[in-house]
Order: sequence, then structure tokens, then C-alpha cells
Amino acid sequence: MPPHIEPPRIQEKPLTKPFAIQLESVAKKYGDHTVLNNVSLSVREGEVTAMIGPSGAGKSTLLRCINFLERPDTGCITVEGNQIDAGTNFTAKDLAALRRNVGMVFQSFNLFPHLNVLRNVSIAQERVLGRSRKEADVRSMQLLERVGLADKAKQYPSRCSGGQQQRIAIARALALDPRVMLFDEPTSALDPEVGLEVLAVMKELAAEGMTMVVVTHEMQFARDVSDHLVVMANGTIIEEGDPEQVFTNPVQTRTREFLRAVLER
Amino acid sequence: MNILTDWPAFLPGLLAGLGVSVQVALLSLLIGIPGGLLLAIGASSKTKLVRILIIGIVEIGRGTPALVVLQIFYFGLPASGLTLSSMGASVVALAATTAAYTSEILRGGLQAVPQGEVEAAGALGMSRRDTLRFIVIPQGFRVAIPSLIGFAILIFQATSLAYTVALPELLSQAYSIGSTTFNYLSVLVLAGLMYAAITIPASWLTSRAEKRLARHL
Repeated sequence: MPPHIEPPRIQEKPLTKPFAIQLESVAKKYGDHTVLNNVSLSVREGEVTAMIGPSGAGKSTLLRCINFLERPDTGCITVEGNQIDAGTNFTAKDLAALRRNVGMVFQSFNLFPHLNVLRNVSIAQERVLGRSRKEADVRSMQLLERVGLADKAKQYPSRCSGGQQQRIAIARALALDPRVMLFDEPTSALDPEVGLEVLAVMKELAAEGMTMVVVTHEMQFARDVSDHLVVMANGTIIEEGDPEQVFTNPVQTRTREFLRAVLER
Repeated sequence: MNILTDWPAFLPGLLAGLGVSVQVALLSLLIGIPGGLLLAIGASSKTKLVRILIIGIVEIGRGTPALVVLQIFYFGLPASGLTLSSMGASVVALAATTAAYTSEILRGGLQAVPQGEVEAAGALGMSRRDTLRFIVIPQGFRVAIPSLIGFAILIFQATSLAYTVALPELLSQAYSIGSTTFNYLSVLVLAGLMYAAITIPASWLTSRAEKRLARHL
């Protein structure tokens, strides 16, 4: 009788991580103009999602709906377990709970020009997390160190270059320990060379496993760094999937047109 | 008539008057500008009723001459049982005028703060109140300061209206000296110079303040 051989036990490992962000049928109109037409999107924990598409497609609007900087007309948004249905009345407390886990970086940096770099990074920690000035400053310095700008702590934002300002803005958002980071065309206001230093910080963040949603025109970044690519046009997602797949073999004609326009110039 | 002998004789009375004028102006501004800030914030309230109410108050306040407001507080209010001293009535009337006018100045300043910064504060989870307190008001105030100094100069000049409610400020001191010496021209010219001695340096301050406050913006 042959010896009974136990099949080797494979450590049960979840192949799919839970969702960090879920958007369900998000719709938004400005007057007669439909900006978002029942868009649904899911982002898993630790995943980098890049959103590309022609301008006016609704990418930024969709991104801004995630933390309700833009309030959708209808649709349900869940971020790290905090759910808000845009169709219902929600309280400032609900909104604060949802935003608690979301950091955001803007195209135009939006630093506070009357506060020095350190105060820019520290103030929300003090007001939102209740950290003391000292605790907040320690954390801020760590983050400024990480984005390579510790020596700028006492400067004012106007004294910093665009690339530096954007890295400060990233540090400011990270200071609140978000679980999700949203990037709204973070390099569009920068010249290409300076943009690289911002992209480098973002790559590092992605490598550390931060959940990120990035609206971008940086095709190389979308292709190399993102785990999931979303193509939007006319207020809907026209195609999504593995970035390599979408870039090399897009299914939709509209995607093909867009990629040809941005890649073959 | 000889100003070399007249003016030194007028000076003590006029200086006492100037002191009262400055006091009324400072108190009016001290009460009026925070009032103006509250009105400016209220004017952008989310509640329509509050907005309409505040815009109504501001428009009435700006539309009514300061002299009329002053007369209402001093001569009118006693009829409803509230009697104010001439000092009290002057401060309250000028503070009300200040609040109405500066609310518009401050509203402009607050609106000059880029919306992107307000969004950034919101995205960081800061409450509406904290965003106002730490981001919008400090910057809006800086934008408004040159105009506020300009308005403060006007209010200082408007303290001369308190002459009509028998407050012993600069103009009424000058007038009473004039009526005893009949040297109206001489004493009024000196009073005018004394107003100017305050207002002209104050307007120099405006341009310096402007430069200093624009440092980081």
C-alpha cells in the first residue's frame, strides 16, 4: 500500500484585497450638462488607480466626488467603510468621518501662503487630530524630510518652486495619516523636469502600499506605476483594466483615438 | 489777531478736544470693525434668511448718513426709554456706521482668498469654523487692512459730527473758543491743522502697511 501522502498545504491567502473606495452610480449635472453619468468605480486597498482621458471627460469631477469637494446629485460613496449617499441629507460629522481617511493633492498646490511650510503641514494635525504643536511639528518634520524639504520648514510657500510646493502639499496631506490619497493632475502645473521630482515621491508612496487614485496626463506614470487604469470620456468610464492591456490593446475606439493622440505626438 | 499769541492760548482747550475725538474714533473702530467682520461672515451664510437680513442691515447702515444715526441715538432713543450720554451716543452711532461700511470692505477681503485654499482646508478635514479662523480671516484681513486704515481716517474726521450732540471734542472746543474770542477763522484753521496732523501720517501708514502685509502673498 503506497504511503498516503498529504497534499502540501498552501497557506490560504486572499487573492483580492478588500475595497478601499467604492463609487456606485455617481451622477452629476451642471444645469443641462451631464458631467458624470452614473459612474461606478471600485478601488482595492493598496491599489494605484490612474484615471486618464480627454479634458472635460469628468475625471477631476469624479475624483472630487470621492471626498465630496464636489457633491454628486445622486450616488453612493464608500471610503474605508464610511458611506455617504449623496441623495440623502448627511451631517458635517458624516462628512468629517469620510474625509478623515482621505488625503488630497491639487493641481494648483493650494498651500496656505500666510503660513510657513512647517505651519502648513502642522495646522490640520493640531485642529483635526488634536495633536499638540510639538507633536505635530515632529511629524511634519519627518514628512518634510521624506519629501526632501526639511530645510524649507521655516520658509514661506512663495519662496519655494512649484515642484517643492507640490511636495509640501503631499506632506501636508500625509500628515493626517490618510489611508487613501487622491491626486488631481499633480504635475500639470509644473514643467516636465520639475514634475519628475513630484512623480518620484508618488512612486515611493505607491511602493509603500498607499491606496492612490491619480488623475493624470502623465502616460508613462499611468503605465508604469498604476495597477488599474481607468479611461473616461463624456462623463463615463469607457474602459478600465490592466494598464499594460489597455495601453497595448485597447478595446474601445475612443480609447484608441485618445491614446494615439497623447502617445504619438 | 495774531496767531503767534492766539494759537498758544487756544492749544490747551483744543488738545483736550483732540483727545476726546481720538478716543471716540478708537472706541468706534474697536467695536465697529469686529461688528463688520461678523456682518461680513454672516453675509455669506448658507441660510438665505440670515443673508437677506444681514445685507438689509448693511444697506440701511451704509445708506443712512452718520449724522442722522447719531441724532437718532442721542435725541431719538430717549423717547423709547434709552438715554445715552453724548459720548455713548457718539461711539454707538459711529461704531454702527463703521460696522456697516467695514463689512463690505472685509467681505471683499475674505472673498479674495482663493477658493482652492478653502477646498484644501476642507479636504484636510478642517471644519468650516477653523477654515475661517486660520485660513480665510487672517488672509482676508490683510487684504482689507489698507482700506480699513482709509476708513479709519474718515471715521476720525466724522467724530466732528459729535459736535451736534454737545460732546466736547475738537470741533466743539474750537467752536466754543471762537464764540468767546470771535477769532473763528484762527481757531478753526488751527483745529483743521490738528485733524490733518493725525490723518496725514495715518495715510502714510497705509502704504507701509500694504507693503509689509503683502510680503508672503
